[in-house]
Amino acid sequence: MTTPTSTEDAIDATSVTETSGAVGRSPGQLMWLRFKRDRTGVISAIIVIFFFLVALLAPVISMVYGKDPYTLYGQDIPGLLNDYGYPIQPNGGISSEYWFGLEPSLGRDVFTQLVYGIRTSLGIAVAATLITTTLGIVVGIVAGYAGGRTDYFVGRLIDLTLSFPQTIFIIAFTPVVESLLVPSDEETPVWLRAVTLTIMLSAFGWAGLARLLRGYVLSMREREYVEAARVTGASPARIVFKELLPNLWTPILIQSTLLLPAMVTAEAGLSFLGVGMGELVPDWGRMFLRATQVYQNDITYLIFPGVALLIFVVAFNLLGDSVRDAFDPKIKR
Amino acid sequence: MNYRKRSALAVLAAASLALVGACAPGNQGAPAGAPTAGSSAPAQEPYKPAVITMGTAEDSKGPAVEPEGVVKGGTVTMIDRDDFAHLDPAQSYVNTATNFGLLIHRGLTGYKRVAKGEFKLVGDLATDAGTVSDGGKTWTFTLKDGVKWQDGSAITSADVRWTIERTFADYITFGPSYIQQWLTQDDYKKAYSGPYDGKQLDGIETPDDKTIVFKFKAPHADANYAFAMGGYAIVPKAKDTKEKYDKEPFSSGPYIIKSHVVDKSMELARNPHWDAATDPIRGAYPDVWKLEFGQEPLQITDRFVADVGPDQQAFTFYAAVPPERLQQVLNDASLADRRMVSPSPYGNYYYFNLDRVKDQKLRQAVNYAWPSKQIQQTLGGPQAAALPTTILNENTTVGYKPYDLFGKTTKPEGDIEKAKQLVAESDNPSPTIVYAYNQTPVQEQVTVVIKNALEKAGIKVVAKPLDRKTYYDSISQTKNEFDLYWGGWGADWPSGSTVMPIIFGPVSDGGQNMSHLNTPELTAKMKEISENPDIDAANTAWMELDKEIQEKYTPLVVAENRIATTLHGSKVGGAEIDPQMWIVSPNTIFVKP
Repeated sequence: MTTPTSTEDAIDATSVTETSGAVGRSPGQLMWLRFKRDRTGVISAIIVIFFFLVALLAPVISMVYGKDPYTLYGQDIPGLLNDYGYPIQPNGGISSEYWFGLEPSLGRDVFTQLVYGIRTSLGIAVAATLITTTLGIVVGIVAGYAGGRTDYFVGRLIDLTLSFPQTIFIIAFTPVVESLLVPSDEETPVWLRAVTLTIMLSAFGWAGLARLLRGYVLSMREREYVEAARVTGASPARIVFKELLPNLWTPILIQSTLLLPAMVTAEAGLSFLGVGMGELVPDWGRMFLRATQVYQNDITYLIFPGVALLIFVVAFNLLGDSVRDAFDPKIKR
Repeated sequence: MNYRKRSALAVLAAASLALVGACAPGNQGAPAGAPTAGSSAPAQEPYKPAVITMGTAEDSKGPAVEPEGVVKGGTVTMIDRDDFAHLDPAQSYVNTATNFGLLIHRGLTGYKRVAKGEFKLVGDLATDAGTVSDGGKTWTFTLKDGVKWQDGSAITSADVRWTIERTFADYITFGPSYIQQWLTQDDYKKAYSGPYDGKQLDGIETPDDKTIVFKFKAPHADANYAFAMGGYAIVPKAKDTKEKYDKEPFSSGPYIIKSHVVDKSMELARNPHWDAATDPIRGAYPDVWKLEFGQEPLQITDRFVADVGPDQQAFTFYAAVPPERLQQVLNDASLADRRMVSPSPYGNYYYFNLDRVKDQKLRQAVNYAWPSKQIQQTLGGPQAAALPTTILNENTTVGYKPYDLFGKTTKPEGDIEKAKQLVAESDNPSPTIVYAYNQTPVQEQVTVVIKNALEKAGIKVVAKPLDRKTYYDSISQTKNEFDLYWGGWGADWPSGSTVMPIIFGPVSDGGQNMSHLNTPELTAKMKEISENPDIDAANTAWMELDKEIQEKYTPLVVAENRIATTLHGSKVGGAEIDPQMWIVSPNTIFVKP
């Protein structure tokens, strides 16, 4: 976890921390030192990296494990599911063959479903977080730096976005998008669903970050070093990119690490509500939906996606906390 | 480390513990848990088809036969998944709509429940089930005294005439068409365009306010059964609002719609002008009906299992126990007296759209590859669905003789090799099938199963989810863009001639010939059997034709035959699944205080 902070801001760093020896350290290095001392942060980071690796390596895992998330094992191989469609083996059909058991009715392998589900959910969440953050940065800085009328209108737009009932909107709007874009003799392509979800999540996610950054920029705009830059004839682009942005990386990084787990849960939530990925694409949220339907007879099926999501979200939030603490030790405790 | 972090870690730890320590029992206890040959295992008790006999004028007098322990008054709640697609009787053909119609509409004739599983065809608005003359061509009905509309005006023969005439209008597309065809011709809308331009239909005579005479072109000895259909319930001439009538019908039945929020709720209050003494069919015991829509069968089942508060006085028309809960519901002895089980009297088919899937080899390949056993398992096993192999339903067909063209008894899981071979022989070695389905959670899963099986046989499947409320309306358009879709059809009255000539009859928008199979040869053959005076010979002939159609045309895949298990609240009495309509009848429902 390093930051793209350039070494030019050494002056700023000394104002934050007193260096005891003669060693000069950049704020990035200082942050890294503090972060390494935070055990929770390191553990969370390892867990988060693990999840990302699982998502990236899903096909490899599936190959080594010898199953895929699409085959209906329980239906193709007799003796795995009973007549009602529930796994015959205890614990949801866990065995050396099916590590996390089998999905009731369709009999797909839960382990690969989960691994690929993480891939789907994380993929959409990462994409949405990147778009959200970029949008938030641009709008926030423009509003804060330009001020005046621009700031007023952007501010109202942010108000509108923040107060918009986004879940209801997404539920209502997704079928409309599909009926508009998909010819009637074709299936809704998976990428369209993914892109729609990403755009929807991004469209409603940027406002918080934008408002935060606007505040930061507003307070920094009148600082001496910005004034100095302006007096020396620096262009607005240079002021934004070279003077303001380096000081904004901390809130941006913290906000986006907290945003990502929120996006993962939002994506899972939308799938749970039936506007996420279809039945054919492994998805975390849909696993929950199915699990809530069958938990009375097969609790195991609820536990695996549940615990996986819990661990991921908690770890990522703790990581976000640790990153913030490492950047800004003053607000710790 | 601050406090917040530590507690979060504790949660993590506890969750991991739960993971390790979790121990859920297996599901071996279920009956027939071991893999069985997927033959259509028998349901719990042998099904007894309903007995329907002809009632007399005495039988046609009200009030209805009371169910045991009846209590009058109170508020009953009905919870179901979907709102009714149509309230105009002339547009009602689906069982959910016509069954609800019993509460607000009345027809010339109807079925009176005498005992469980025993029914009589009696006069509803008419004094008896009709008088036939002229060798079956002329039918005469006399209206009862004291039958009124919701505003207190008398129901007259002019209203009955109007009811039949308006079914010829352009905007009526979804209702039954027997009477119209019998009065005119097969393509009846060409013969007469409805009463709105002032023209009357020949063939109906109203000598006075109480008498109505129908003169058919050919003998139809079972016309009084046709008049019992919900689609021929009457509509007042004075209050007909054409298209708008579908939203705000005018009541002749025991209740009036007090409020209706589409897709959400409906409330019925008593119709003060309905007189129980004139009605042999409807008990109408509760004072108020509250109908709730938009709940999935899963939630509805859970509410009935929990049985708390107002849900004790609730039942459902059509929301059967979903596969996820079947194991639990069937094995819970305490639910035994609130459980209703009935196999479907319908034929269920996955129709090919013959206008699009022109290659019979491909249609046969789909039949061979069809994953019947897997679908059965997804639906909840042999307790939830049987696997028939014939077009005619074994539960409702007299002289039923099974045959198995596609090896479904030996290979219920599908014969992929055979299918592959047929696909290779067909015109297009890499075919695509557009499969349209009703978007419900269960159907989503069944679609995965179908897709999985057909793609193994090298047939690409494009799955199109359709809105569940207008599902039938979409697939019954002749120019639809789908290749394969599920459709159900049941005999409209107990006669074999109401299945084949309908599902392979005239092709029209909103019609029931969804495979669009319509050859002169077949039509002639069906006409011949229909007019056969020897019932037994006709039944044998229908069975033979059944096999011949599948061999010669393969217009459909025979679908699984569902066995409905339905629950009701503990304070609801008289709940029975109507064996003909396969839906809980509103006529006998009452609530205990």
